[in-house]
Amino acid sequence: MENDLHIDQHISQRFNEELEDLRSKVLEMGGLVEQQVMDGTDALVNGDAELGAKVVERDTQVNAMEVAMDESCVEIIARRQPTASDLRLIVSIIKTITDLERIGDQAEKLGAFAVQLSDKGVSADKYSNLENISSKALAVLRKALDAFARMDHEAALEAAKMDEKVDQEYEAILRQVMTYMMEDPREIKKAMRVLWAARALERIGDHAKNISEYVVYLVKGKDIRHLDSLPEAKSL
Amino acid sequence: MSNNTDQQNTDLDQLVGETTGTPFLPDEKVKMSARNVDVFYADKQAIFDNSLDIGKNEVLAMIGPSGCGKSTFLRTLNRMNDTIPICRITGEIKLDDENIYGKDIDPVLLRARVGMVFQKPNPFPKSIYDNVAYGPRLHGLARNKADLDEIVVTSLKRAGLFDEVKDRLDASGTGLSGGQQQRLCIARTIAVSPEVILMDEPASALDPIATAIIEELIDELRQNFTIAIVTHSMQQAARVSQRTAYFHLGKLVEVGETNQIFTNPAHQLTENYITGRFG
Amino acid sequence: MNNTEQIKRSLKKRYAKERRFRLYGLTAIVVSFLFLFTLLADITLKAIPAFTQAWVQLDVSFESDTLGLDNVNEQTINEGKFRKAVKSSTYNLFPDVSKRKQKKELSALVSGGAQYQIRDQLLDNPEWLGTTQTVWVKADDQLDVWLESDGELGKISEQQEQWIAALQEQDRIKRSFNTTLFTAGDSREPEQAGILGALVGSLLTLAVTLVLSITVGVATAIYLEIFAPQNRFTDFIEININNLAAVPSIIFGLLGLAIFISLFGVPRSTPLVGGLVLSLMTLPTIIVSSRAALKSVPPSLMEAALGLGASKMQAVFQHALPLAMPGILTGAIIGMAQALGETAPLLMIGMVAFIVDVPSGVLDAATVLPVQIYLWADSPERAFTAMTAAGILILLVFLVAMNSLAIVLRKRFERRW
Repeated sequence: MENDLHIDQHISQRFNEELEDLRSKVLEMGGLVEQQVMDGTDALVNGDAELGAKVVERDTQVNAMEVAMDESCVEIIARRQPTASDLRLIVSIIKTITDLERIGDQAEKLGAFAVQLSDKGVSADKYSNLENISSKALAVLRKALDAFARMDHEAALEAAKMDEKVDQEYEAILRQVMTYMMEDPREIKKAMRVLWAARALERIGDHAKNISEYVVYLVKGKDIRHLDSLPEAKSL
Repeated sequence: MSNNTDQQNTDLDQLVGETTGTPFLPDEKVKMSARNVDVFYADKQAIFDNSLDIGKNEVLAMIGPSGCGKSTFLRTLNRMNDTIPICRITGEIKLDDENIYGKDIDPVLLRARVGMVFQKPNPFPKSIYDNVAYGPRLHGLARNKADLDEIVVTSLKRAGLFDEVKDRLDASGTGLSGGQQQRLCIARTIAVSPEVILMDEPASALDPIATAIIEELIDELRQNFTIAIVTHSMQQAARVSQRTAYFHLGKLVEVGETNQIFTNPAHQLTENYITGRFG
Repeated sequence: MNNTEQIKRSLKKRYAKERRFRLYGLTAIVVSFLFLFTLLADITLKAIPAFTQAWVQLDVSFESDTLGLDNVNEQTINEGKFRKAVKSSTYNLFPDVSKRKQKKELSALVSGGAQYQIRDQLLDNPEWLGTTQTVWVKADDQLDVWLESDGELGKISEQQEQWIAALQEQDRIKRSFNTTLFTAGDSREPEQAGILGALVGSLLTLAVTLVLSITVGVATAIYLEIFAPQNRFTDFIEININNLAAVPSIIFGLLGLAIFISLFGVPRSTPLVGGLVLSLMTLPTIIVSSRAALKSVPPSLMEAALGLGASKMQAVFQHALPLAMPGILTGAIIGMAQALGETAPLLMIGMVAFIVDVPSGVLDAATVLPVQIYLWADSPERAFTAMTAAGILILLVFLVAMNSLAIVLRKRFERRW
């Protein structure tokens, strides 16, 4: 496989294990964060305060994982002085877990909204569009994590591209919510909450996009962030 | 060339292929250039068809596993290999557009232009002053004692050693610490005002502090000299050099900006070596 | 773990082995010391008599008539009848002796060299002419030996014993330090024989050897070690040099005889030809040790010099050679010590000749210490036994002095690198 980083081929077996361990932990964290986003969306859409509370509670787990992995990365840098692909792997992981943690924060926000909304005895079921944007954002996240797991820069580029859909969805929700607010000013408060939720999901999409960009850097050694047009990156 | 060497050549071609990266520089930047250099020890080939430019005022680091020919290649640059009778060199090496293996080139003069610092600090068992003054005296670079004094002091200052030894220039050079000895050797080399300095693992026998001082010194020397350094420490290559060349089994595998080599090498062999993988 | 037990048990054995080995070594050293001590003690004891000399006091009349001399100067002095003067003054010791045979025995108590001694004394003190002086002259070697051995050795007749006793009563016999041993050349008469001739001969021969073998040897070593290409020819030379070191020394003597003396006409028995032959013999030693010394100089220093733009010769002479000097000197010491003790090759080139004069240059006939010892050991006179031992002692002292000098020189050359 061309893009295989051969992280199991170091002369130092311990180094192999450390890197492999770190990589699987990133995927584990990714899985947890994905679950958080799904549950947060579900709680919000279904007005499930209990699930919302659970999401909020579980965010501490996400935070703990980030801290632990940060430490492992620092240790590896200090002790192994990684270079080339190893260095890129460590740097990507440090950045990836930061973004994953932010995604976790957004998911927590979703859960918190769900709790607040259900306190008021309302659900966001009217805004089924939230489910749409959520599934799109989740798709970006899944694709990015998948690309990371398989070191597949093409999949990563696709994921980055998919984020545009999330942004479009957000625009749509924004317009829809504005319409609601104009129709019924009493709904503004609730509408704002929904908007914030949508905003959170849009941010999740952005973070997922960042992760996919790190994957491209990891595999190809090229930084494609903040490039205006992706086609340039496609030349890879 | 024996069949054995031919076979070796073919295997290498398959494994390495053409040198990747940027071995060549724009003409105006080139200080030394090697083209298609082969080195043989008797029937055994040690260097295979290597071409490489060394830029003005740059530090070029040569890295690679033991026996990869990096030291041999370094030594071809000031004809130190001439002292080994069984050593044969083909190809062309130029210093400022002048073939250093040309008939009209005197290796003694060449070595005054292309100085060398060795792996083990090797000061002469003489005083610090005499160590530094040796080269200038040899080549008659100083007109009088005052001249010589100035050369010695300037060289020691440039090598960052003057403040430590200014009170005991008459003391033996071998009585200094390892790091000081190596700086003395550097002072001794720059006292002849060479254009290029070759360093063969200059810090491999030193502790980290002494190493850091030498590395800092290398960085300063770059302003006046062109430096080619062979090192076993990849971190050192990463720290001191602008360009890095990776050798494998006598073949130049990859040359590139040091930043690029250490973050994103193009050749799998380079990657394997600098990340400590089997390869 | 029972591993520890096992190791413990084997340790005991190993330590016992080690102790035993140390004991063997110690024994070997003690035994060799005993041998050396016995040898030295024996030689020293035997040599003691040679360092003393018996003297007899005579009242010599330097009358012009008896000597047949009118005045004293360098030309006429040899015409003086000093032999007669000595004889008559000896007879005067015991005026009652009249028989011819007894007279002969009496005059035998005084060294045959006494006449030359008083001649020289008169030459130094011309005013003695016409007077009678009391002078000490050397006793005959038989008397000397007899005195030293408390009457056990030496051919002394009963009559002579009585005379000696009488003389001793008159304090006319004394013993003093034998300076002749260090100031005279060889002689058939033990009391007149000295080692100076051989000592100077040895010095001159060694000087020739040293100059020749060090210059040629070191030059050869430098060429072979540093400049010579590695090929069959140099290999051949190298093997031959190593083999030369094992060639019996008498062969070199034959070679010297055939080449230096017969072919080139170098005068025989001279320190020059001796030095030439001994150089041939020491060359392999010096070449081999010089090469080893040059090889042991860190190549990094040569490289440093070459890297600075020194030529190969500059690198060698400014760096390699000074550092190799201690090693080269060690080789030279060994070679010189060998040369100093060598006899066989010198026999072949005539240095075994009986030579009375102290040589004054490398072209004078000379002998050397070991040959002198050999000659004395071969002489029949009893007193030469002690002289032989004394010669050996002097040779040993000479050797030790030479080696100490070399060690001092080496220490001075030795530098840290």
